[in-house]
Amino acid sequence: MTQLDIVERRDGDRHVVAVAGPVNSYTYTDFQEKVNKALVQHPLVVVDMEKVTTLSSAGIGVLMAALDDAEAEGKRIAILRPSEIAMLALESTGFGDRFPVYKNLRDL
Amino acid sequence: MPLKAPSKAGGRPESTAALRHPAARLRLRLAEATAVLPAADRGVFAFESFVDGLGFLEPRERARVKLAGSEIFDNLMHHAAPLRGDAVTVRASLRGERCTLAFYFKSQTFGTRLGACEDEREPLFDPERRRWRGIGLKMCRNLAFKIRYRSGAALDRIYLEFRP
Repeated sequence: MTQLDIVERRDGDRHVVAVAGPVNSYTYTDFQEKVNKALVQHPLVVVDMEKVTTLSSAGIGVLMAALDDAEAEGKRIAILRPSEIAMLALESTGFGDRFPVYKNLRDL
Repeated sequence: MPLKAPSKAGGRPESTAALRHPAARLRLRLAEATAVLPAADRGVFAFESFVDGLGFLEPRERARVKLAGSEIFDNLMHHAAPLRGDAVTVRASLRGERCTLAFYFKSQTFGTRLGACEDEREPLFDPERRRWRGIGLKMCRNLAFKIRYRSGAALDRIYLEFRP
């Protein structure tokens, strides 16, 4: 699988960005564009990572920057049910506790 | 009961009374796979497919190999190119509990960069790309038990060793 699919939807007051496929150095710009745009328009952005097949440092770098921006602007960004490999990637950075991870939308 | 040798293509041996002995299990966890991958734009996808096919690794092991290995592969493409023959040979092997991922290539710049390597550098925010950088090596160090770099006249090598 070499393509990143991103589908956006509304769920109450949350804007959900559902990502499927590899988030790596060749696909991260699409991911970055969608997340940053969502963050400009919505106070609560949920990144659904259930179908992420790999998550490289490029993708994690985007998430970290988005978290910084959200905090600075009084907004929120949450990571929803990351796949096992995505969770392992987040933990492997040593900043695992920096990422607000949720198993269910209702927990937000 | 004679012990069955595992196939080179991978696959776990069946659980039998004889195999419950730790020494037997260690002896049977022997497998390896090699591929020559294109050192080209989007070559990391070929690397990811290679790792996905390593059936002799447990899913968790495979995930660690995939994450750390793709960071190394990406770094080679972005910082060590051009590579001789526009190719990187990748070998994954399993010896008992120890899994090793090796990259073989020849770069004109790898040796020089290796000498100047700031491996302990902390991540920095890149305002131009609007993302944090320098996370990849940190991930590799946390995912792999050991990382070794070796530059040579004929061949450069990077070895990553993984343990449970």
